[in-house]
Amino acid sequence: MALEDFSAEMDRCSQCSYCKWIPFDQMKSWRFAKNCPSISYHDFNSYSARGRYAVARSLIKGQSEYSDTVQRIAFTCMTCGSCDVSCKVCRYNLEPLEMVRELKFKLVEDGQGLDAHRAIIESLNKEQNTMQQPKAQRGEWASDLDIPRLSSSEKAEVVFHAGCRYSYDKDLQATARSAVLLLKNAGVDVGIMGEREMCCGGRVYSMGYRDAFTRFAQANIQAWAKAGVKTVVTACADGYHAFKRLYPKLGSQVEVLHIVEFVARLIEEGKLTFRNRVPMTVTYHDPCHLGRQGEPYVPWDGVETKIKNQIVVYEPRRPRYNGAWGVYDPPREILKSIPGLELVEMERIREYSWCCGSGGGVREAYPEYSNWTAAERITEAKATGAEALVSACPWCERNFMDAIGAMGESMQVYDIVDLVQKAI
Amino acid sequence: MTLASNAYHALEDIVGAEHISEDPAVLDSYRYSLAHTAIHLGPYYDTFTPRGEAVLLPGSTEEVQAIVRLCNEFNIRFKAASTFWSAQAYPSEEGAIQLDMRRMDRVLEIDEKNMFAVIEPGVIGATLQAEAMKVGLNTHLPGSGCSCSPLASATSYLGSGPGNMYGGWFHDNLLGVEWVMPTGDLFRIGSLGSGCGWFCGEGPGPSMKGVARGFIGSKGAMGVYTKCALKLFAWPGPEHLPVEGTVPAYQAVLPDNFKAYTVAFPSWKAWADAAYMIWDTGIGYLAHRQYNMFGRDLKHAMVKILTDPTKTLGDLEELLEDPEVQRVTEESKRDFQIVLAGMTPRDIGWQEKVLDEILSRTGGWKVEAMNEPEVNKWMLLYLIRLGHKNLNLVFGGSYDGCFGFLGAVDWGASNAEEAGQFKKEWEKRGAVVEAGGDCMMGPIGGQGGGGTGLWENFTCFDPYDRESVEGTLEFFDACTEYGLKRGWGVGMEKWNAQNRGPDGKTTPKEERDRIHLSAPQPSMFRYQHKVRQALNPNDLGDAYYETLED
Repeated sequence: MALEDFSAEMDRCSQCSYCKWIPFDQMKSWRFAKNCPSISYHDFNSYSARGRYAVARSLIKGQSEYSDTVQRIAFTCMTCGSCDVSCKVCRYNLEPLEMVRELKFKLVEDGQGLDAHRAIIESLNKEQNTMQQPKAQRGEWASDLDIPRLSSSEKAEVVFHAGCRYSYDKDLQATARSAVLLLKNAGVDVGIMGEREMCCGGRVYSMGYRDAFTRFAQANIQAWAKAGVKTVVTACADGYHAFKRLYPKLGSQVEVLHIVEFVARLIEEGKLTFRNRVPMTVTYHDPCHLGRQGEPYVPWDGVETKIKNQIVVYEPRRPRYNGAWGVYDPPREILKSIPGLELVEMERIREYSWCCGSGGGVREAYPEYSNWTAAERITEAKATGAEALVSACPWCERNFMDAIGAMGESMQVYDIVDLVQKAI
Repeated sequence: MTLASNAYHALEDIVGAEHISEDPAVLDSYRYSLAHTAIHLGPYYDTFTPRGEAVLLPGSTEEVQAIVRLCNEFNIRFKAASTFWSAQAYPSEEGAIQLDMRRMDRVLEIDEKNMFAVIEPGVIGATLQAEAMKVGLNTHLPGSGCSCSPLASATSYLGSGPGNMYGGWFHDNLLGVEWVMPTGDLFRIGSLGSGCGWFCGEGPGPSMKGVARGFIGSKGAMGVYTKCALKLFAWPGPEHLPVEGTVPAYQAVLPDNFKAYTVAFPSWKAWADAAYMIWDTGIGYLAHRQYNMFGRDLKHAMVKILTDPTKTLGDLEELLEDPEVQRVTEESKRDFQIVLAGMTPRDIGWQEKVLDEILSRTGGWKVEAMNEPEVNKWMLLYLIRLGHKNLNLVFGGSYDGCFGFLGAVDWGASNAEEAGQFKKEWEKRGAVVEAGGDCMMGPIGGQGGGGTGLWENFTCFDPYDRESVEGTLEFFDACTEYGLKRGWGVGMEKWNAQNRGPDGKTTPKEERDRIHLSAPQPSMFRYQHKVRQALNPNDLGDAYYETLED
């Protein structure tokens, strides 16, 4: 795809501003009615999906040129997809999230990327991670675990992919260790790639680096094939999205599970029971890439056509990604099954959840705005009366922990696996 | 014209550098495509409203005043808008600046006892309704839906919607107003102006509501409304809408004192009689001919799509072949939707009996397919929140109404079939969606609870397709010609033609004068000319405030 391929959508965008709000049916208050961090923070129309359609149109028509402002408009999109959900409450022939991704690709291809992102790409090319850390240290998080390191000579059915954040963020690594041990103790033939694990590419894809993503995706697909991997399990929502939604386009056929899906399955089958009470009131944050963007990939190769003269449809029928079928229930089922734990919901949940502020390269390039986005979520979590904020993605958790520190708040942040570990 | 740098910097000093932009890309996100023609003439392919010289995001009344005074000093036209639903929100001429009122978005007060809310321009219908429901109150919502600004609708436009019959049009509901006049002076309308609070739009205090609004609202052309109070009305439901279901087929499970029906009639006369009886008896909370906007032939198939999250427009043709869908489509040709809300169990029981009696007397019936639980709960939520109004544009991306019989319902009803047939013939030419001719949508009650209807015959087309756009324009021209020949007058397809021309800019004065002189009451525009001379001496608005010189 190229940005010009979205020309029809640029004209067909209704200019209605639904993209700036959670689905109206779900609004419960003035305070938590907005959905898009970008327009909520910057306020100019151009920072919404509707505005980005207009900006993209202006650029490809030659009516405006690249500027610092245009860069900021493109790269402050967290690609959280909340605009996409709200747009598609009514529209069946627009793909605003795909268009904004394409806008980022275009800027990067035209040399308009951000310095903060280039540094990450350089590190990625050299060290194969987005954390700007040595490749050789990637497997250290599991150095004390008796888990096979997979290769062409050491094979396993299942690979646990830790991802860049868990591999290098020492505050969070206990979660990855617990997750892989859950798999092992359940009798799964599981291994890790250790120091040979590579970035999934998902985060650089959302920064606009499509080629880098493709390189890493192909390398991971090959490495898994050599190790005999049939299933990849991850505790990272960004990785889950990359493997589940983006890799199949490049030929990947492995089954993809997030750890919450695996644990929920164990509970449902009676293979995991909790013995310890965890007396705590928690609220759950849906990671964008596990929730609304965690829908299964459906292959489609078709064309636009019209029926009834001017109704725009697709031949064959195009899959519709609107957040309806994301991973929302497994994490909630796990939390509800933990003795003593009470789950209270925030106002913005499931497909209309507010973003943590970490996505799209925003954490790396615009830390103040990223922090503000996380702080908004902390405020919403506090309003529930919960003492802890639980999620299922290390990027969300890191951003929340940093924001809570900056806010001087005392709310605790857990990964759902941490609570499972407490309850076992 | 480019804004003089000293003017730009002076504006920047008022709002701060982060709240003003003259970047061309930002400015282009504040232009409206004239291929989207809602309540406007057109469509015109690949034509946009003029680019503003700057866009500003004021954060307070004081900032708005300072901006407006500066505009007077530098002779800069300005256009304020809140939620940007249609072309009238955008500058009409080059050299103007755009005020985006989004930052002023607070619900300042909900006076539960006196049943009103005080809001800023950026508040939308949905957030006001959500806050009002917490205390057992509700707000009227305009037909454009809950994404739009109630302040803009009430101060600056019609504000008609499904709730007309119970909640009144928005302009009926306007109480105290804080108005930054075109000179930058602050004027407090109604009781607010005498220090008595927000409770009344007329007095005690200066009774200027009519002067400020003018003919159907001043449409952003006479200063900036920075706060207003709106009358609220009773909400006999829960504090939050209890929503369930899978996106986009959300549903509301409301208590038994809420009922939603689609009713249909054997003739248009029976339809109109039923509407009159509904007004006479005073039943009903909302009533609208809503889903007919998809077209008489398509509406039930569309309901099937919209209530099933696995379906898309790609399922439409198959659904249209379904005999059951065809049966319901035929059964609901002459229909409308009505929501009853009982304040007590006896009240809802009585309203149900009255509706049944009305149907009995007129030969009407409830469309049972719309009473299926999943559909009914969806319909109830749709009509109460009006959060799916962008379905107006679901087919190809653009629509506009044509004809538009605004008046007594038996007048609209008696011409509905003919207008539908006229459109149906044009649908065969291919430029617009083939939907059955009768795509007329509108409220059942207006003007203080009854007496009028509004029949907007939806015409859907593809703004990216030149042939579709130009064919639609040709059809609209034919509608105007037909409407004049039949004595119906110029229809909605030419609304605002007197303000904005085919190039996206102000209609030339000669043409405006010609239109205004041919209006039934030209003196109204002469009066507005006098008002403009007095209140907007530098004429820094635009032609949406319609005037005629002596």
